[in-house]
Amino acid sequence: MNVERWARLKALFEGALDQPADARTAWLREACGTDESLLREAEALLHTHQTDDDFLEQPAQIDPADLEPFADGTVLGSYRIVREIGRGGMGVVYLAYDTRLERDVALKALPPVLAADADLRRRLRREANAAARIKHDAVAVVHALEEIDEHLVIVSEYVQGETLRAVLSHGAIDPSRAHSFAVEIAGALAAAHEAGVIHRDLKPENIIVTETGRVKVVDFGIAHVEAPEGTRMTVPGRALGTPAYMAPEQLVGGVVTPRVDVYAFGIVFSEMLTGVHPLMGTGATVPPRFAALVARCVQTSPDERYGSGAELLRALVSDITPPALEATAGAPIGSPRWWWEFHQAITAAVYWVMTWPAWMGRQSVGGRVGRALFIAILIAVIAAANLRLYLWFTSRFYPAELRWARRRVGSWVRGADWLFVIALATMGILVGEDRSPVAVVLIAVASGAAIAFLFIERGTARAAFRSSTTARTSTPP
Amino acid sequence: MGGGVGSWTSGVGVQRDDLMPLVYGELRRIAARYISRERPGQTLQPTALVNEAYVRLAAERPREFANKTHFLAIAALSMRQILVQRARARNAQKRGGAPHRVTLDDRNVSAEAPAGIDVLALDEALTRLAEFDAEQARIVELRYFGGLTVEETADVLGSSPATVKRHWAMARAWLKQAIEPGAPAPAE
Repeated sequence: MNVERWARLKALFEGALDQPADARTAWLREACGTDESLLREAEALLHTHQTDDDFLEQPAQIDPADLEPFADGTVLGSYRIVREIGRGGMGVVYLAYDTRLERDVALKALPPVLAADADLRRRLRREANAAARIKHDAVAVVHALEEIDEHLVIVSEYVQGETLRAVLSHGAIDPSRAHSFAVEIAGALAAAHEAGVIHRDLKPENIIVTETGRVKVVDFGIAHVEAPEGTRMTVPGRALGTPAYMAPEQLVGGVVTPRVDVYAFGIVFSEMLTGVHPLMGTGATVPPRFAALVARCVQTSPDERYGSGAELLRALVSDITPPALEATAGAPIGSPRWWWEFHQAITAAVYWVMTWPAWMGRQSVGGRVGRALFIAILIAVIAAANLRLYLWFTSRFYPAELRWARRRVGSWVRGADWLFVIALATMGILVGEDRSPVAVVLIAVASGAAIAFLFIERGTARAAFRSSTTARTSTPP
Repeated sequence: MGGGVGSWTSGVGVQRDDLMPLVYGELRRIAARYISRERPGQTLQPTALVNEAYVRLAAERPREFANKTHFLAIAALSMRQILVQRARARNAQKRGGAPHRVTLDDRNVSAEAPAGIDVLALDEALTRLAEFDAEQARIVELRYFGGLTVEETADVLGSSPATVKRHWAMARAWLKQAIEPGAPAPAE
């Protein structure tokens, strides 16, 4: 479309509208002459116009909340808003750049109407100060509470990753991973309770799974400061916070103790294990070894729950029997996983056998160089073979943890492989000067090993883990 | 044209105007007051917002805002920018790019744009329309994003209501083809 063509189309459209309805088509055809495509366009426009409902006739509907956020790039004190990353009733959360300390931060700006309340401001400051004292790896650090212009701004660590809610949208988490998340969350609660802070609103939306597979609990204490009457925090018929995760005494406005966090934890843990909220009534059950712990967390009477995060943490690490042999033992012979296991076992064996020719090579090279090379080979063999046996063992007996295990030790195995191949090849070349048959063995095995881990193992691993490696690649941009 | 407000230049009414931050700020302030009074999820007509903003700004800064039609043009553009930005943020969050979704209560705001109009698609189509018919694009901006009547629109543009109506009809038909999947494709 260009200006000229548009002008012709406009003349046709308006000209046709001046004709009586039944004469329009004929008029258009005549006016267009031989220009078929122009005719088609004009007819389409006219048709859309005549059959049109009320497209655009109602002006845009505006949710006042849409006007609340700051535009990207807005500067607030020493912070520059990058973009909005979330929102809740008490404010909008942004990714912002702290130009003074030159780092990314999460910035929660409370709307002026809330910030104007002196009492709320005082309580929020107290909570933020307390939250800033919590020191735990699984707690997102609160950096500051600042008053900038008419806004009250909470600045905290920017945690990159997915919310546990997003992770749960793919379904349940495997039990051993859920257990390790649970340990971290309980640790975070323990540290918070120690510092006198109660989260009050623990739920999957407030738990971030980072790119390295750790978890971070955000919004400690500040999630939930009661707002004054007449603001939208107290919209009638709506309890503060998230009822689905709130302890009964919290729902009825009773005394809030660390035990409300224990309750919320129980619901979250159960949801991690089954993939659904326990009140959804889908019949999904928590694995037996966690059932007692979860049941104790979600007791109606606070006194019957664990008393604090610390108590919960102790129960989680000591009372739970390891995820032992309940998982299905080893893969069937001949399946891709079996081949992968086979590869791991054989490689480990070959590595160990190679210590013997390496010993001979050491004697033949002699001196410091020979000794250094032999030690390098020995280290590589111990590392690579043992890590492989560990993977093999995990695959045979704890298949649920295999994905984790591979991620954890993958780069170490790779490093040990390279060390092995390089040291072996170097020794082979040095020995080669003596024309010893040991040299042939060393060099042959070095090349064989390189080919094995560069190509063969990749193939078996790809075949064995095809589904599990593609399942979890969605990370935020 | 990449579309979107950022790359959006001449033709459709005011460009970056000195008064724009004032209007933008006033609209936000009014919205914040509505939020504190109203139930979540309740929507407003732009007309109400824009008029309220004008009354306040004209009282506070009579000199800058003596010209109401100029104000209306800025306000419509501001509303367009605000809505487009919101729609973008919402999309980004939907794609899972919400790493830190802090929920202070469970109110997860405004699900979809009302009336099923995709604001981002409309914005993009409007940007294209402005390339060959700035006036029609401006009419749409004033009427749809600013909530102006045909008469008010004619006032702002210094044209007649009949002309505005004719242009409005064509712009609507073209935009509908451009953004609604069922409609025949628009002429490019």
